[in-house]
Amino acid sequence: MEKIYAEFPIISVSLIIPIIGSLLIAFLSERYTKVLSVVTTGTVFVLSMLSLFFFDFSQAHKVQFYEEYTLIENLGLRLSLGLDGLSLLMYILTTLVSFVAILWSVRDKHINTRLKEYYIFFLITESFLIGVFSSWDILVFYVFYELTLVPMFFVIGIWGYKLRMYSAYKFFIYIFVSSLFLLLGIVSVAIQHYKNFGGISFSYFDLIKNEYSIGFEVFLFFLFLIAFAVKTPIVPFHTWLPDAHGEAPTAGSVVLAAVLLKMGTYALLRFNIGLFPEASVFLMPLMVIWGIITIVFASWFTITQSNVKRFVAYSSISHMGFVVTGMFLLNYEGMRASIMEMFAHGLTSSALFMMAGFIYNRLHSFNMDMLRGSIVFMPIFAVLIVVTGFSSMGLPGGSSFWGKFLTILGAKEYSLNLSLLVLAGAFFSGVYVLYLLKTLFLDAKSTSRIVHFTDIRGYKLVAFLFTVIPMLMVGFLPFLFFIMFDQTINNLLSLITQKAMGGIQ
Amino acid sequence: MEQVVNIELPNLSLLVPEIIVLITGFVLFSLDLVYKKINHTLATSVSFIGYLLAFLYIALNSHLTGETFYGLYVRDTFSSLLQSVMILLSLAILAFTYTYYRHKNSLYGEFYYILSFVLVGALFLASSYNLIVVYIALEAVSIGFYILTALSRKDFNSKEGAFKYLILGGISIALSSYGAGFMYVYSGSLDLRDILTYMADDEKLLILGVVFFLVGFAIKIGAVPFHFWLPDAYQGAPTPITAYMASVGKIAFFAPLARIMPLVSEHFENAWVLTISIISALTMLYGNLVALSQKDVKRLLAYSSIAHSGYILAGMAVSHVIGLKAVLYFLIAYSVMGMGGFVILGVLERSRGWQNRIDDFAGLRFSKFYLALAFAVFMFSLLGVPPTVGFVAKALVFMALAYKELWLLAFVMIIATGISTGYYLRLVAIMFMRKEESTVEIDLSNSEKLVLSFLSIATLILGVLPMILWFFVDISAELLFRR
Repeated sequence: MEKIYAEFPIISVSLIIPIIGSLLIAFLSERYTKVLSVVTTGTVFVLSMLSLFFFDFSQAHKVQFYEEYTLIENLGLRLSLGLDGLSLLMYILTTLVSFVAILWSVRDKHINTRLKEYYIFFLITESFLIGVFSSWDILVFYVFYELTLVPMFFVIGIWGYKLRMYSAYKFFIYIFVSSLFLLLGIVSVAIQHYKNFGGISFSYFDLIKNEYSIGFEVFLFFLFLIAFAVKTPIVPFHTWLPDAHGEAPTAGSVVLAAVLLKMGTYALLRFNIGLFPEASVFLMPLMVIWGIITIVFASWFTITQSNVKRFVAYSSISHMGFVVTGMFLLNYEGMRASIMEMFAHGLTSSALFMMAGFIYNRLHSFNMDMLRGSIVFMPIFAVLIVVTGFSSMGLPGGSSFWGKFLTILGAKEYSLNLSLLVLAGAFFSGVYVLYLLKTLFLDAKSTSRIVHFTDIRGYKLVAFLFTVIPMLMVGFLPFLFFIMFDQTINNLLSLITQKAMGGIQ
Repeated sequence: MEQVVNIELPNLSLLVPEIIVLITGFVLFSLDLVYKKINHTLATSVSFIGYLLAFLYIALNSHLTGETFYGLYVRDTFSSLLQSVMILLSLAILAFTYTYYRHKNSLYGEFYYILSFVLVGALFLASSYNLIVVYIALEAVSIGFYILTALSRKDFNSKEGAFKYLILGGISIALSSYGAGFMYVYSGSLDLRDILTYMADDEKLLILGVVFFLVGFAIKIGAVPFHFWLPDAYQGAPTPITAYMASVGKIAFFAPLARIMPLVSEHFENAWVLTISIISALTMLYGNLVALSQKDVKRLLAYSSIAHSGYILAGMAVSHVIGLKAVLYFLIAYSVMGMGGFVILGVLERSRGWQNRIDDFAGLRFSKFYLALAFAVFMFSLLGVPPTVGFVAKALVFMALAYKELWLLAFVMIIATGISTGYYLRLVAIMFMRKEESTVEIDLSNSEKLVLSFLSIATLILGVLPMILWFFVDISAELLFRR
């Protein structure tokens, strides 16, 4: 893969700005905390928007803004940062969602203690996330991947709801233990490079040249998969998610669902498919079926939830099912769908979690029964929820539409039955969204209480708009996003054809 | 006979650090004799200056290598690295005890010179292939530790711990010397390098000797099933001594093992890999499982120390230079972070009503923020979360295991680490997430602040910029294997 070196180190700057911001917060008076964090995340967001202008879309498959700093020479450990089309999209999602989360927290009544720590945790999470999506050195990727755990552990455990400590433990243990397998996989891949070429390297560009026996490749694939299947999550490994997302404070759930889950799917696409193309082709049926199972089961689980945050959390799992299914179809449409769905889900899930938090501020309950008809007297909020709901459901014009539609199209390339299976999954995910909307709008229980609710405004409205407007952009102007990652997909697919198919012939 | 005639002048310049520390010990001894009640500031400064000189000598003469006394003493990068780390950590302990014992009012003059003698022994352990030297150094370190453990005369636990340590330590020494005897008889040499090349001749009793010798060391490092003394000794000993045993003691006892690892694994790769793997797997699983159920944090950290011996042994099971690198890195990493954990316990013990229970930590963040933060750093490092030194160490061990494709051991290590998540995380969570105000009322002295910042910054720096340490580890391991 080719690299275009950065003229201005935009990524390391956007990595460092949140760190500087959090240092300032730590040492200045608490009065400036909120302002500083809004300004910091805002700056990084603007920076990411600027990066769009300097990104060369005609060569989106190349790694641009590339910077490289050697850490350990004879271990081949380098800090190499850069963005290709896929990373760029994830980078923008990160900065956007972090900005939204901070905007939301500013007026969140639930966050009333230990403000400094709270904002510091969010800022450093943003920095680590940018590191995750821009690292091309796989061990550095792992370091950032693990680092995001620590602040989120504290955010859930300190500012969460009732079961916060339990959920924080569960979150940390599940992901930490599973990612130890990833660590083992990563060092094995680097060692394999040593055995093939006589030099340890952790660089992605070197590692894609590795040769494995098929058995060993499948083994490594599974080592990586364990970590990412828990992180994504795929169905039997999902049990940490409803707890973590359900108990975290609103902004925590937003970052968790919108970006932290994407770390798993991003890594599946980048590393599992990129590094082990043969194993991916070999295990394609398993992964596709697994993805569909995830969609269907998660959708069923979703409908049975009585807690609205857990409801949204489970719906995230079913969306992740689409992402996994799409990417392991290993064709153009599937991958397009998968990446589009990652971005779209980042937006809709943030909006839905903010909705849950917003209603909680008024009703002091997450119970679905209590929520009945609760938003009827808040017209602006109701409109935003409808847009979000239909986007999440995959109505044409909604952001998830492309994810679902293209997955079905991709599955059709293999067989009609497969695409029907995906369609069934899409159907179930429509059902739970309709159920949610029905609960929120219809059969109001106690009109007298909800009549006095004030509508969404101020910071929260801005935060909401920052997710809803991109949602509509994804829905109506998808080509704006497709041009970012289409070439990356082509690149990946040609790699697969070269390696896997070439091996067969 | 030829060798006896061939007289060489001892190259004493290699031995200067040991000589300095030894002289420091004697000076302290005389001071203790002269004064009825020793002036602690004076004694601390004398030891401090002595150790610092020794450290500076090694640091400034890093190129200094060679053998002297007919191969009895070897100075190479390996020994220089471990020695400088041990001296640095001894300095930290000195600074820490300065406040601790004055508060506890149980400091005796013996402490200073015994500490020096232990350090001399530890320095020699890191730098000899000779059975006699290793044996004497081992004795010096062990006997020093027995006395130091029992130093709080009024404390029953201290005595109990010392007694258990003495009994099992005695067995260990006995086994080692028995093994050493076999090795000498069947090879005719006292130099481990010669002995282990003789092993290739498949002399059964010689192998038995080696096994006995290694079992002696297994007891010292607390490997399962020879670990029984460790939790009691660690818990019973005054906390600074525990910190010292977990850091310098660990390095000292592992050093000869690391030194002979290239030699043994060369000739007996299969047997070595199998035995060490099994012991390592048992050690990490046992240490972590038992630590999980501990209510007493000092004992918990003692079991975690056992578990960490297991991780280090996992690196040792890999009979390749990368395994030795992992061992060295992990050893130094553990000595820093393990010491950090115990030092914080020692600081907290000064608070009234503190009993080292897990619940005592509840809400520590509110009363002592920086202390809680430092403790969290050490816990995350022991757990192996980046960007701490513990993570780099674990990654290196995994790399070594992946190199030799010891997948089973790697999976055991993952499981063991997973188990350990339970208790390290609980400590962190209790400090930061529980609302109850802990009743910690202590003012940290400057020396304590210095030690804690040194250890926690070292834990972080060596994790973020591992190349600082890696540079030395790399060279020492390569040189040791090339021999």
